[in-house]
Amino acid sequence: MEHHYITEIQDEKYLLTNKTKGILALVFVVGLILAAVGAMNVKSQWNEHDGSSTTLTKTEKTEETHAVANKTGHVHEKSWVTRVWANFLMNSYYFMLFAVGALFFIAVNYVANAGWSVLIKRIAEAMSGYLPFALLTIIAVLAFGKNEIYHWYQYISNDFKEGSEGFDKILNSKMWFLNKGYFLIGVPAIICIWILFRTMLRRLSLNEDKEGGVKFFNTSFRYSAAFIFIFAFSFSILSWMLMMSIDAHWFSTIFSVYNFAITFVTGVTVIMFFTLYLKSQGYLEVVPDDVIHDLGKYMFAFSIFWGYIWLSQFLLIWYANLPEEAVYFNERLTPQFKPLFLTNVVMNFALPFLILMMRNAKRNPTVLMVAGSIILLGHWLDMYLMVMPGSVGEHSGIGLLEIGTTVAFAGIFIFIVLWGLSRAGLYPKNHPYILESANHDVGV
Amino acid sequence: MLRKNLIIGVYKEPDKLIDGVIKLRKQGIEVFDCFTPFPVHNLDREMGIKRTRLTVGAFICGSLGFLSGLVLQFGMMVFDWPMNIGGKPDSYLMLPSMVPVTFELTILFTAFGMGILFFYKSRMLHGVREDILDIRQTDDTLLLTVEADKLNGNKQDVLEILKNTGAIDIRDHIRQH
Repeated sequence: MEHHYITEIQDEKYLLTNKTKGILALVFVVGLILAAVGAMNVKSQWNEHDGSSTTLTKTEKTEETHAVANKTGHVHEKSWVTRVWANFLMNSYYFMLFAVGALFFIAVNYVANAGWSVLIKRIAEAMSGYLPFALLTIIAVLAFGKNEIYHWYQYISNDFKEGSEGFDKILNSKMWFLNKGYFLIGVPAIICIWILFRTMLRRLSLNEDKEGGVKFFNTSFRYSAAFIFIFAFSFSILSWMLMMSIDAHWFSTIFSVYNFAITFVTGVTVIMFFTLYLKSQGYLEVVPDDVIHDLGKYMFAFSIFWGYIWLSQFLLIWYANLPEEAVYFNERLTPQFKPLFLTNVVMNFALPFLILMMRNAKRNPTVLMVAGSIILLGHWLDMYLMVMPGSVGEHSGIGLLEIGTTVAFAGIFIFIVLWGLSRAGLYPKNHPYILESANHDVGV
Repeated sequence: MLRKNLIIGVYKEPDKLIDGVIKLRKQGIEVFDCFTPFPVHNLDREMGIKRTRLTVGAFICGSLGFLSGLVLQFGMMVFDWPMNIGGKPDSYLMLPSMVPVTFELTILFTAFGMGILFFYKSRMLHGVREDILDIRQTDDTLLLTVEADKLNGNKQDVLEILKNTGAIDIRDHIRQH
């Protein structure tokens, strides 16, 4: 027979060189400096901006603010710190989505008995290793930034009685869910559960490398099924608590699905980037183009899924035009946010849809990287539009602070992933489906 | 009516069929077609079949559906008979409400267009006479066919290769269309 079948996979180990470490450290430091400079800029321009946006003199302005504060009872005067924390939350959440998206990717491939993704499974595992750091950053937001970002949190701190001034009926009716206990314990607890599952799956995978046999696969299968079940609920709750509660008066039942769409498409895109990076460095030679093709299909499919969910959320609210629902999009269709709002749809749906439609595009690394960059930047913008209008409002903007924070986070994220990759072999060599992955073929 | 003289090799096993295809093509003999009762991996690649252009047809059909969806709704709701439904704008700003119908028409046109194109290209339209080369091809055997007229006198080579790679039966066949 003349067919070329791969029957053996050579062990490979990724070496995290000092040069790479240095570059990533530099990226992190540059990001921090940019963010610091940006924060100083924001601080110095904050009051100027106030002055220019209103004709009131300073005393009048202060009096008015006090009046408003007395009326609604919980208006916390926004300062430049709000913008810094909103940024921090946005990036914490965004990079956490990559990690949990990768974990979901592993689990869903186990449950589906999918063989094609086995060779790139270690990349997804290394990405999910970012979760503990994500927990730290989210805890930082909960500990120090919550009063700046979440206005409902300021409200519940005041304990208003019904009929008293500043009483907010809507927030009061949501207090069974949006309260201190659930928020401060629930959010970290959910991420801890994910870390637990991640640790179990990773340990099984590493033991499989040592001993071999199908029992690790079977156990992983059960853990994955349990994880997907728990993930569906826990991720919904997390997205309501961290993201939807920024606009606490508003609600959307499809919001968690929307967040899930972002999770999966960005997770797969980042896996694609790491695969191409390792390939360009001379690793992962065995990974066939067909595997990358399938990743491209996922990016394509889930960009469409995101567009579908985005429209489902927007169309119903736009058509029904109920004030309590439309307020969310009202905030985002102001002259300040409208261009970004429209760019969001173009970048996350229209461009990936058109670029990745053709078969050859999904097999071409350059085109994939262009489409992947558009997807990642687009969903960054998506996050921006989720967090900023509700928390910072008209003072927000995309400046050095925003760019710097993201660059710093990216430095840490890439370091953690590459470090995780260097800790184990690049291939799960005793996985029962590894040869299926190496000989993966999607046809002509 | 096109007449085609075919040499048919009947195989029992897909691996032997692929072997035959590879050996024939190594000799510079193009395979006319293979008939298999189930998909055989890598067969299309070894036969040197070019990628289908069905997807291009699908894209054109889809674009047609997309345009007709937009034209239909714009024509009716903006130009011909503007209606105020639920206070929604009757200008281009009503675009979001047009998305579902446009989407459905895109899918409908793509599916129908692709189905019709596929049946047309694979000669499965109504009224086309069926052409069974060998009655066993509807059961469990695989056929390898070579066009006899395109061979430059090396028919013996073909017969030999078919025989050596394990064809259980080799026949001549005149295809009538």
